[in-house]
Amino acid sequence: MPTIDPALPAVEAEGLSKRYGRTLAVDRLDLRIEPGEVFGFLGPNGAGKSTTLRMLLGLARPTAGRARVFGDPAEDVRAAHRHLAHVPADVALWPNLTGAEALELLANLGPGTDLGYRDELVERFDLRLDKPCRAYSTGNRQKVALVAAFATRAPLLVLDEPTSGLDPLMGREFQRCVVEAAARGQAVLLSSHVLAEVEAVCDRVGILRAGRLVQVAGLAELRRLRRHEFHLSFAGPVPAGLAAVPGVADVEVLGEGRVVLTLAGEPAPLLRAVAGDDVVQLSVREPSLEEIFLGYYGEAAR
Amino acid sequence: MSAVAAPTAPATPAVGEPGRAVTAHLVRELRRGTLVVAALLALLPPVVVVQYRETVGGELGAGALQVLATNPAIRTLFGPAVALDDPGGFTVWRTGLMTTVLVAVWALLSTVRVTRGEEDAGRWALLRAGTLPARSLLLRVAAVALAAQAVVGAALAAGLLVVGTEPAGALLHGAGTALTGAAFVMLGLACAQVLPDRRSAAGAGGAVLAVAFMARMVADGSEPFGWLRWLSPFGVLGQVRPYAADDPVPLLVLAGMALLPAVLAFVAVERRDVGAGLVRVPDERAPRTALLGSSTGFAVRRGARGWAAWTAGVAAYYLLVGLLTVSLTGFLGDNPQFASAAAEAGFTGMGSAEGYLAAVFALLAVPGGLFAASRIAADAADESAGRHVLLLSLPVSRRAQLAGHAAVLALGCTLLAALAGTAAWAGARIAGSGLGVAAGVGGALNTVPVMLVSLGAAVLAFGVLPRAVLAVGAVPAAGGFLLLVFSDTFGWPPAVRALSPYAHVAAVPVEAHDGAGAVGLLIVALLLTAAGVAAHGRRDVRA
Repeated sequence: MPTIDPALPAVEAEGLSKRYGRTLAVDRLDLRIEPGEVFGFLGPNGAGKSTTLRMLLGLARPTAGRARVFGDPAEDVRAAHRHLAHVPADVALWPNLTGAEALELLANLGPGTDLGYRDELVERFDLRLDKPCRAYSTGNRQKVALVAAFATRAPLLVLDEPTSGLDPLMGREFQRCVVEAAARGQAVLLSSHVLAEVEAVCDRVGILRAGRLVQVAGLAELRRLRRHEFHLSFAGPVPAGLAAVPGVADVEVLGEGRVVLTLAGEPAPLLRAVAGDDVVQLSVREPSLEEIFLGYYGEAAR
Repeated sequence: MSAVAAPTAPATPAVGEPGRAVTAHLVRELRRGTLVVAALLALLPPVVVVQYRETVGGELGAGALQVLATNPAIRTLFGPAVALDDPGGFTVWRTGLMTTVLVAVWALLSTVRVTRGEEDAGRWALLRAGTLPARSLLLRVAAVALAAQAVVGAALAAGLLVVGTEPAGALLHGAGTALTGAAFVMLGLACAQVLPDRRSAAGAGGAVLAVAFMARMVADGSEPFGWLRWLSPFGVLGQVRPYAADDPVPLLVLAGMALLPAVLAFVAVERRDVGAGLVRVPDERAPRTALLGSSTGFAVRRGARGWAAWTAGVAAYYLLVGLLTVSLTGFLGDNPQFASAAAEAGFTGMGSAEGYLAAVFALLAVPGGLFAASRIAADAADESAGRHVLLLSLPVSRRAQLAGHAAVLALGCTLLAALAGTAAWAGARIAGSGLGVAAGVGGALNTVPVMLVSLGAAVLAFGVLPRAVLAVGAVPAAGGFLLLVFSDTFGWPPAVRALSPYAHVAAVPVEAHDGAGAVGLLIVALLLTAAGVAAHGRRDVRA
């Protein structure tokens, strides 16, 4: 692996734009990810996350702007890809190769692989390697790509919704791997929809909406923004004064004794406020990070 | 809690017509290919009819036609010539085998695509999750694919009728072609049920097609083996003899040939799981790590099995050609009339083993070029299925990967030609010919530049038109061959003829190697490839 100037950012995008016909998929995106940083990349479907990652990987050419990976232009894949490993959102493998053969190919052509760590990862992800890839489920294909990526010593890991096909147990194993990668000094760009996952591993989070990066925030700010959505049904009418309860906001009466509201912080004051009423149904939903961000910044979801 | 009010006007449940929906879906899947094949068959033969009336008929006397008709060498290439004095008969002889093979290949591959191909992609399970049982699904595939053959046969007959050939001959030729297509639809259906994936199903069907083609060739070239034609749809079709005997009985044999694989398909579909075939593949094996060390090595590995299959088929064909050479050319030597007649019809030097081989070697560039184009098309399919994303995330440039693959395929084409030439030589030696190994291998290698032009066209298409790689790649090798044949038969202007890459290849071994032509073709191939590699590196990756 080439030595890297520690002053260079892992990812640097300046005015990155991509236009498909009349659609502006990515609009003047500026982004900087430091070496060793774990960056969460969020946004609704069609926001341009994958297009941005494809431009960083040199798979799509920007209409305007530029992207660099540790100082090397993204389109010069021979140089830029020595610094990174990638797990695509929808992993497709060669149907006639076994898992072991796919790992072998990726290690031989990749930016350098720690074979001992790879064997350990195969164990941890409980991956059967002697099957042809055509027999693999979505989750198993994803595991092959994850093992191949985490086993490299590339200083940047670009992971595009890498846990969408994994069960919760494997999702936790994935989080441990990200933490280990960060501990080794690898930067991680993680596109995800899973709040717990992003909260558990990311240092910073950026949200993309309609092709524009609307916010980049640290994890502390993220936690501050965290809210729960309460759905309450009462036998009688909705009690008055719920909006005055500490932490409660966005009270919306849906009619027939039903109300939806958001709560930040401790639930005790709210529970005390409704204790005297006949609550027939109570459900709590954790909004997605995107909803939090979009709500907080006053952007209507597309 | 108050109950949710029941909807006052219950929604009308959608009336399920799953059968009709599946049929409509299949029609959409097969529509485009059917129209393309039908258009070709409706246009090409009438052009030959018209051209025949203008030129050939007047120039070739009855005697010359008779020589052509009885010449076994010509018969191996084009089938029996039975009514050359009739515009329709001449057209059937000159284009019939070609159009039938086209229909057969299309029928086989499109049937495998809409059955096993859809199953490989996971979409068949969606259809099976509906209310239709497997057998009715298969029945609908068969019905739609057979209807497509009927459309194609009708288009062929209509074209021949419009230009005023005998109605009986036109109808029988159209019906025979449609029934041949039907037999290969059923073969595709059976292969898709028995074998576990699209590649092996298409491969097994293709092998049957190749054997049927060669059985016809042997039967037409060698009278003691004449009975072989009754085992091959191509041979049976020849027995209809449109515009001469107009015999409908062989059509019944063709229909019978379609029945056997149909029964197999419908028995097999009930006895297997979705996603599996009757033939099971082991789902575990030890890793084989050869050729996984570089992107070019991996290109070799991906293409090796396909190359072996194409080469085996081609080499078997040329072994047969070699074996037949002596008996054919012995006959030719005794016919002084033949040389001039054959030359006028576009064949020269057919009186010797070398001349016959040179004519047959010209054909070699068709499968060779199609092989190269099909491998680049497989690259395009891998790309759109996302199988290339992991490779393209590695520190190897896209240009280097594609250029490496093109180099591997160029080598593959050369080896394929060398082995075909060796097979022809070996066959000729076994049969007692004095043909030298240099003449055999040299004649085959002589066609490699044409294959490479097809490869270059396919690479260019991959760079600028990735959805049409196979079609564009086939233009030089297959389209160029047709252009040359028609130019020679009908005396088209030299400028038109020169557009065909085959026009720049000498008839080796009967003629001397055309060095300048070969260099010119290689330069064209190189330019096409370089342009395609550059364009591929510049464009966005699909999927």
